[in-house]
Amino acid sequence: MFATVTLTLFGGFLQTIKLFLLTLLFSLPLGLLICFGSMSNVRMIKVPVRFVIWVIRGTPLMLQLLVMYYGPGIILGVNIWGSGDTGRFVAALVAFVINYSCYFSEIYRGGIQSIPVGQYEAGEVLGMTRSQIFFKIVLLQVIKRIVPPVSNEIITLVKDTSLARVIAVYEIIWEGQSFIKSAGIIWPLFYTGVFYLLFSGLLTLLFGRIEKRLSYFR
Amino acid sequence: MPILEVKNLKKSFDNTGVLDDISFSMEEGQVVTIIGSSGSGKTTLLRCLNFLETPDEGIIKVRDDVLFDSRDPGTCSEAERRRKRLHFGLVFQSFNLFPQYTALENITLAPSLLAKEDGSIDASGIRNRAVRLLEQMGLSDRMGNYPHELSGGQQQRVAIARALALDPDILCFDEPTSALDPELTGEVLKVILSLAEKNTTMIIVTHEMSFAHDVSDEIIFMDKGIIAEQGTPEEVIDNPKNERTIQFLSNYNKGNA
Ligand SMILES: Nc1ncnc2c1ncn2[C@@H]1O[C@H](COP(=O)(O)OP(=O)(O)OP(=O)(O)O)[C@@H](O)[C@H]1O
Ligand SMILES: [Mg+2]
Repeated sequence: MFATVTLTLFGGFLQTIKLFLLTLLFSLPLGLLICFGSMSNVRMIKVPVRFVIWVIRGTPLMLQLLVMYYGPGIILGVNIWGSGDTGRFVAALVAFVINYSCYFSEIYRGGIQSIPVGQYEAGEVLGMTRSQIFFKIVLLQVIKRIVPPVSNEIITLVKDTSLARVIAVYEIIWEGQSFIKSAGIIWPLFYTGVFYLLFSGLLTLLFGRIEKRLSYFR
Repeated sequence: MPILEVKNLKKSFDNTGVLDDISFSMEEGQVVTIIGSSGSGKTTLLRCLNFLETPDEGIIKVRDDVLFDSRDPGTCSEAERRRKRLHFGLVFQSFNLFPQYTALENITLAPSLLAKEDGSIDASGIRNRAVRLLEQMGLSDRMGNYPHELSGGQQQRVAIARALALDPDILCFDEPTSALDPELTGEVLKVILSLAEKNTTMIIVTHEMSFAHDVSDEIIFMDKGIIAEQGTPEEVIDNPKNERTIQFLSNYNKGNA
């Protein structure tokens, strides 16, 4: 039984990890784009971007998942996500990407704005271009500063993926819960926690190493 | 021919005049020191020369090259600034070294980038020069250290070497020792004095009067955005004529006594 449960949960966990990795893959760079938008000098860009960030950060992710999945069907009258498991997975992914991009963008913004103007000015008087200043001077300092908050957010994402079950994406908790009905046992549901713990433990180690790699300067 | 000519420079922030008609010139190899009370516009003047601020009016000329003329929009373009600002170097009060680079890398970064743009890849030449500059600053044993591993005085000397590495015509200092503990100011001032002995053209903003007296060919006393008095150290520091200079120096002497 234990082996069967482990195997089934592992299947669900693969789905969880898939959602996790794809969300990171898209939201980490998209966050940078949103970040530049939110710092833009053009009001027509800055105001709408800040509005979207406000909405996304001000409402529950669970609600955003529901709106993302059912919204287009209600408003447009067609299910743009397609039918079946894939459609639900894609809808969940889009909702996660938008949500996490907004959070990442705010972390990036904080990081970029925390770099003293003196760093930019020193680069300028040395005849460096704007992009040289960003890539050769500012970027690594920003990365160093945002590693702790970003890793926090990423570990939160590991656990947040479980919310995808509200639109019936069969991630690990869904699988764990299914044993209650099918076999009348509840321990598989609790057992899912072990998977989360191991995975976030692994991530914690990884981020610790990155922080250490960047500790050679201040 | 003067190496630098500044004519009728004006700059205001939000309608408050900060520089009001500044004109002066200096010869190659000269050291000009700017003194004056807080808020008189000394930093703003240096920032205008280094194109960190754009003057509202006036002319900045290096040798025969008009770097900035408010009436000639061609000289004000963003794209041209980069090349023009290389006539000047600036040493900041707060050093502003790049923390992720070693002392040596701080110095080679900008020259390497410029060389790459020009298509020459003389990495070892740039490195050798940086090594020599650090030796000149008395930092031969600190080349591989990161800024946070250096004292304030050492950081400022790296910053001076970094500015020198681009061979500016005129090296500007904005209160280079104000952020330092008193026991560390000496080593930085000594380096600046040795540069003066080698006829480096410099504009120095400082509150260190006896240093200003020793190092300068000319002193400019600024007051509320204008040059109130100008002359040799003997004239301006020892025998000031202007009412405001006299007051400033007596306040200064009181503070020192
Ligand atoms: N970016 C800015 N925006 C608005 N006002 C400014 C700005 N920079 C400088 N000022 C104002 O211009 C005036 C002159 O400032 P500046 O820094 O040039 O003086 P300073 O002579 O260098 O003074 P200190 O000895 O304190 O360094 C001050 O009143 C200052 O508040
Ligand atoms: Mg100042």
